[in-house]
Amino acid sequence: MVHETLFAQHFWKDSNRTLSYYLENMQGYQSAKKVLKEMKPDQVIEEVKKANLRGRGGAGFPMGMKWSFIPKASEKPKYLVCNADESEPGTCKDRQIMRYTPHVLIEGLLIGSYAIGCKHAYIYIRGEYVREAKLLNEAIDEAYEKGYLGKNIFDSGYDLDITVHRGAGAYICGEETGLLNSLEGKRGEPRVKPPFPAISGAFSCPTAVNNVESIANVPYLIRMGGEAFAQLGKIDKSGGTRLISLSGHIKTPGVYEIQAGSMTIRQIIDELGGGIIGGKKLKAVIPGGSSSPILTADEIDVVYDVEPLMKVGTMMGSAAIMVIHEDTDLVKLLLRITKFYAHESCGQCTPCREGCHWMESILHKILHGEARPTDLELLVDVAQNIGGKTLCALGDAAAGPVISFVKKFRPEFESYIKGQKKYA
Amino acid sequence: MPKCTIDGKEVEFTPGENLITVAKRAGVEIPVFCYHPGLTVVAQCRMCYVEIEKMPKLQTACSTNAGEGMVVKTQSDPVVKGRAGTMEFLLLNHPLDCPICDKSGECDLQDNSYGYGSANMRHSEERRTYVDVDMGPVIEKNMNRCIHCTRCIRFGEEVAGIHEMVAIKRGNNIDITTIDGDPLKTLYAGNYADICPTGSLTLRDFRFRKRAWMLKKTPTVCEGCSKGCNMEVQQEGNIIYRCVPRENLEINKYWMCDEGRMNYHYTQDGNRILAPRSKSNAISWDEAIEALKEKITGKKPTFLAGSDLTQEELKTLSEYINAYHSGSHLYHFGTEGVFTASQDAPLDKILRMKSKTSNLMGAEKLGIKPISEFSSSSDTVIIVRGGRADLKVALSRVKAKNLIGVGVFLENEVENFDLILPGTAFTEKDGTIVNHQGREQKIKRAILPKSTVKTLSEVLMLAANKKTKVGAA
Amino acid sequence: MTKLLSEKFYTAMKKLEPRYPTKKALILPALHQAQEEYGWLPKEVLGEVAEYIGVHSAQIREVASFYTMYNLNPVGKNHLKICTNVACCLRGADELMNFAEKKLGIKCGETTADGMFSLTEEECLGACTTAPAMMANDDYIEELDVNKLNQYIEKMKASK
Repeated sequence: MVHETLFAQHFWKDSNRTLSYYLENMQGYQSAKKVLKEMKPDQVIEEVKKANLRGRGGAGFPMGMKWSFIPKASEKPKYLVCNADESEPGTCKDRQIMRYTPHVLIEGLLIGSYAIGCKHAYIYIRGEYVREAKLLNEAIDEAYEKGYLGKNIFDSGYDLDITVHRGAGAYICGEETGLLNSLEGKRGEPRVKPPFPAISGAFSCPTAVNNVESIANVPYLIRMGGEAFAQLGKIDKSGGTRLISLSGHIKTPGVYEIQAGSMTIRQIIDELGGGIIGGKKLKAVIPGGSSSPILTADEIDVVYDVEPLMKVGTMMGSAAIMVIHEDTDLVKLLLRITKFYAHESCGQCTPCREGCHWMESILHKILHGEARPTDLELLVDVAQNIGGKTLCALGDAAAGPVISFVKKFRPEFESYIKGQKKYA
Repeated sequence: MPKCTIDGKEVEFTPGENLITVAKRAGVEIPVFCYHPGLTVVAQCRMCYVEIEKMPKLQTACSTNAGEGMVVKTQSDPVVKGRAGTMEFLLLNHPLDCPICDKSGECDLQDNSYGYGSANMRHSEERRTYVDVDMGPVIEKNMNRCIHCTRCIRFGEEVAGIHEMVAIKRGNNIDITTIDGDPLKTLYAGNYADICPTGSLTLRDFRFRKRAWMLKKTPTVCEGCSKGCNMEVQQEGNIIYRCVPRENLEINKYWMCDEGRMNYHYTQDGNRILAPRSKSNAISWDEAIEALKEKITGKKPTFLAGSDLTQEELKTLSEYINAYHSGSHLYHFGTEGVFTASQDAPLDKILRMKSKTSNLMGAEKLGIKPISEFSSSSDTVIIVRGGRADLKVALSRVKAKNLIGVGVFLENEVENFDLILPGTAFTEKDGTIVNHQGREQKIKRAILPKSTVKTLSEVLMLAANKKTKVGAA
Repeated sequence: MTKLLSEKFYTAMKKLEPRYPTKKALILPALHQAQEEYGWLPKEVLGEVAEYIGVHSAQIREVASFYTMYNLNPVGKNHLKICTNVACCLRGADELMNFAEKKLGIKCGETTADGMFSLTEEECLGACTTAPAMMANDDYIEELDVNKLNQYIEKMKASK
């Protein structure tokens, strides 16, 4: 655990979101000033690369590398788009940043836009975050007033505008090309790649799409230097701290900040979460948002970071840990998860559009005692026909839980099919 | 030229070509639904999977460009399983309508299911159904059959320039429809039926009329305007049931307009005059030829030729006039306001041209004068017409004591005519026409003309007292 | 034809116009603005938005129908959206939904006869660590339990 957190120490107090607080207590806009006056865009990207800053939206892709894909010379304008469409079930960390430390995000956008040569950055925020959008706009107004946005910032000759663009209720708009389509005023359907957003993204221009937390780390990264930021992380290739949304059957659910790779899941549950409520036993953990394969109670001694989790067949995703105790009906839970993906599927590609709904129907039958013995095999086969076969990752996200739940908790499903258990 | 390997065969390719195009060149057919060479690539149907060495996941061939040294497998086990998976998903909700569906026999879903799908059904849940909307007079919609390939939406946006056909809702409930009962207003609606890979969008005109596999197909060219869209006439038992566009990347790409598509109807119209007549009395061909000779032999009648006639017909007519009616005038007519090729211009950004006849350029090339230069006429006027040329253009300029019609006419057009000698329509003859680009194209005979009509050269030879061979063209 | 959307809509949109390179990008903000003003999005309002953006009204309809927040049918004065996704489900969301259905006398997805309440099931609202949560119109109510929900409904009924 880090003694002084980057973000969490400023959370939970509404008065901390003001520009004056940011300037007084968080060295507000000092990093941006340094960047605009003393650093070249290439140097900024180098620093981010050194910092091993992994994308914090779900894919964990190194941010420095992503920014380096944007062509240096471009006839078309370049865009930096902040993905604030936080919709992965279990995740609520970006909301904290936007509520309590919005200026960190704005400063991060300022530095990032300078690094890739963007003059107008967008924050695509999920439609349900009405309050957060308002707070962001207030913070942006404060920044414009003080000259941290707009024309000739810090007398450097660099201009930047930021616009908050509200989504309207679609999980698929968290997928970067779905987000870009939604930004352009279309249905939020993911695009075929190639071309990749770095070449043709928003309005067919070179675009980088980054998560809120990823961008919000940039001012700290610049201030302490890329290497020091990398050292904050206790694991190879993963620098800085991670915000974890800890929820479910624990005593103290909340958003916690830990140094990357410094704790195992068990430690997080016991030390941060206070252990299981009601004196129950742990049954399972969903480690990285509902898209991640489930872990049994015996599998939680793994270090909580991107690569260790990949090695055990699951993923860190959006760093949302959901803790499940022994009294939970996992068949019902899987049905709810599958229903979510069926509901959020955009409907473009065949396996996701038809398959997700089919999986939901089969699970419904299983739960209500109407399934045949072969239906469990069928369910897994359908999931395998979806995973890896779709246009975007939603198909994988839908298939992953089904395969892992059935693999690790098969007896529960079988007891419904055999009629030993009945749905109340 | 760079090379790649497809199923063990080495193929050359031009950079930028996708694997579907390259595979075709190697003789390998990759099944598709959403891919269409005339539309943007969306890689949605997930049918065109191929396995590419060094890539862990299956790739969609439509969205993958060939690369130097790429090794592609289209028949490996993962590909076979992937395609079978996609077919299974597509058939989950697709009704077993083949026995009553027009598309049967030319249906991509049927073909791909037979080739790559499973004979068993593992799905026993309730099927998704939709309420159908009326899309207007051209297209019949059956949304239950739709496999959401979105070809129709892309066609509307990219080719026809319309936005009436849209997808509403999302996920499993996507409904591809027009809004608020508005019919399709585009003049290219027929193409929807061509591109739809299932029987979801079908031509009302063709509905329940003939099974696709019974149709005999003749490649020809549309006579609807001077664009000269390549077309195929489909008939059985000498009755035309349908016309569809043929691919020609230089002229019409993959499309044709509704007017051209439905144009053939008039040639089979009950009102088409199929036997010779004098005023309103039916007469025999012998009597008709005698009446014709009486009116024109040794005289200088005025000849008006529709620019809907073929080059061969126009040449024959010119030679006849020079030989037997030296001093007679010949003018070509077709569309009001479009008398010369220079006056011809596009009517829209897609295909249609102002000239409603197919051979305006050809008539001009032969040196025939346009009717706009018409000055005075003799007592007798002969109108030779293929079927499309607008008679009003001729009749409004020409006053005659004797009006003779040779060619294709409908009942209500010929009130003032003294003599009609019926001829062959464009579907009933071979010939050459020249489109607005100056391209020479061949029209081909798709059906036999009725025995009671005669070709133009036969009529002219009889008029000139020459012996003819039976069935001379 | 009299316009359903007021000057406020057009003024707000005019302010946003210079911030986007295309007019089409204004579709989502325009629909939000129109819904905020009108309450929901009937066909006529969608048509006006289409006219403002300069596109066919079918294009507006296809976009509006993709997103769950745009109400293409009228909603009650208090739109209760209870999240029943994983984190909230683990903390008793189903119980809350059952309670709400009984209390309001309607099933999930319906509106009360007097138009006061609409009840819908929501996907993850991003309030997982303070689950269970719901949205009441634009506001979040988190760490919900049956009592809190009951009090809220009573309060809304009283403020009629």
